[in-house]
Amino acid sequence: MPEYKLSETIKELAFQMEEKEKRDAELVIANKELIFQNEEKEKRAAELIIANKELIFQSEEKEKRAAELVIANKELIFQNEEKEKRAAELIIANKELESFTYISSHDLQEPLRKIQIFSTRLFAEESENLSANGKKYVLRMQDAANRMQSLIADLLAYSRTTTSERKFEATDLNVIIEEVKNDFKEVITAKQAAIEVGEMCVALIIPFQFRQLIHNLIGNALKFSRPDKAPHIKITSRIIKGIQAKAQNLLSEKEYCHITVTDNGIGFEPKYNDYIFEIFKRLHDKEKIPGTGIGLTIVKKIVDNHKGIITATGELNKGATFDIYIPST
Amino acid sequence: MKIIYLADDDADDRKFFEDALKQVTIPTNLTLVSDGLELMSNLEIVNEPPPPDIIFLDLNMPRKNGFQCLEEIRNTPKLKDIPVVIFSTTANEEAVNKTYLHGANHYICKPASFMLLIKAVETVLTLDMWQKPQPRKEEFVLEFS
Repeated sequence: MPEYKLSETIKELAFQMEEKEKRDAELVIANKELIFQNEEKEKRAAELIIANKELIFQSEEKEKRAAELVIANKELIFQNEEKEKRAAELIIANKELESFTYISSHDLQEPLRKIQIFSTRLFAEESENLSANGKKYVLRMQDAANRMQSLIADLLAYSRTTTSERKFEATDLNVIIEEVKNDFKEVITAKQAAIEVGEMCVALIIPFQFRQLIHNLIGNALKFSRPDKAPHIKITSRIIKGIQAKAQNLLSEKEYCHITVTDNGIGFEPKYNDYIFEIFKRLHDKEKIPGTGIGLTIVKKIVDNHKGIITATGELNKGATFDIYIPST
Repeated sequence: MKIIYLADDDADDRKFFEDALKQVTIPTNLTLVSDGLELMSNLEIVNEPPPPDIIFLDLNMPRKNGFQCLEEIRNTPKLKDIPVVIFSTTANEEAVNKTYLHGANHYICKPASFMLLIKAVETVLTLDMWQKPQPRKEEFVLEFS
């Protein structure tokens, strides 16, 4: 072998050796990299297992919640049904009560009328057989019977406000006020009362109920007048927004027909503002001022039927004001 | 002589009516019956004129009530022209409307005093209702107080 060839071969071998070493080194690096990647993958796998477990747990929890919701829902449906049943029962009970009030008031009138007729006949036809005291007793009996008659009449009127048909009609309040003034024309003349009626709006009302309302308010204003002063009753009405009203519990943007009835009568102490609307509640001795204590209860009931609000403000010996707010549409 | 019928199941009310009628100057001949069935069988045998001039009719009666009598009277050719005045304890809207619709001539609430009862009976007896049209609804109920 020539010398140069040998050295060439050695060079070649050395070169190959170097290359191998390089490859080896590269392989070591690649291997390390792989090991690292492997480790990373295992870590990810472990994390995934944990995440998976977490998901399974969450899923189970969700199912539990769903099952609980189904139960809760059933419970609500049951409660709702119960409530509907109670409501239906209440409606029936209410109707029964109403018809009971009506029937009892009606049936009470019959024996009462007998008492009245027998006592008037006793007084008129058997007068000479009665002592002065006897006559007095008969007259007291008549008074009591007459009071009972007005009580029954008022109870009937009250029950009618709950039992009768509620048909709303756009009604001119002037017409109603004129009719009521006509009911009281004798008292108005006798007491020289002045009834001042401002501009009245047309309101959406149950006409016959509202007539009763105005009748009771004007009737009261005439009845509770001051002995030394002729009654002066002012009635006004206008359309306002809830926010403009003095009364609470009105929707601020809704329109209301605001009716005011003011008198200059004996009034009442401000502490009785609410009390006077309660049934059978009276502020005066019935011997002095007759009445049943039902009139303003009827008024309140009628305002309720119109989804309205009524307030009373009074000052003793100065007068009383009633503010009524009913939705105008 | 006016021929008057009163159908009322209440004995006191029949007695009051009879006594009140005696106080009225108009001569009358009164027939009292205590329920609707008795009234109708009495009216059936009315074949000879004159028929009653007025029937006073209570509404709430056993066996046959006033509403049923009114309907039968108005649907019976020989009875349909007889004036019928309802004579009831209360004038509730439903009863007033129903009897007006079925052609009663007037409606009276039984008064609460004997004097008013006399006045009521006397007023009705002086009304000329024979073959006259029904009054307007506003004049249907007669009030005495």
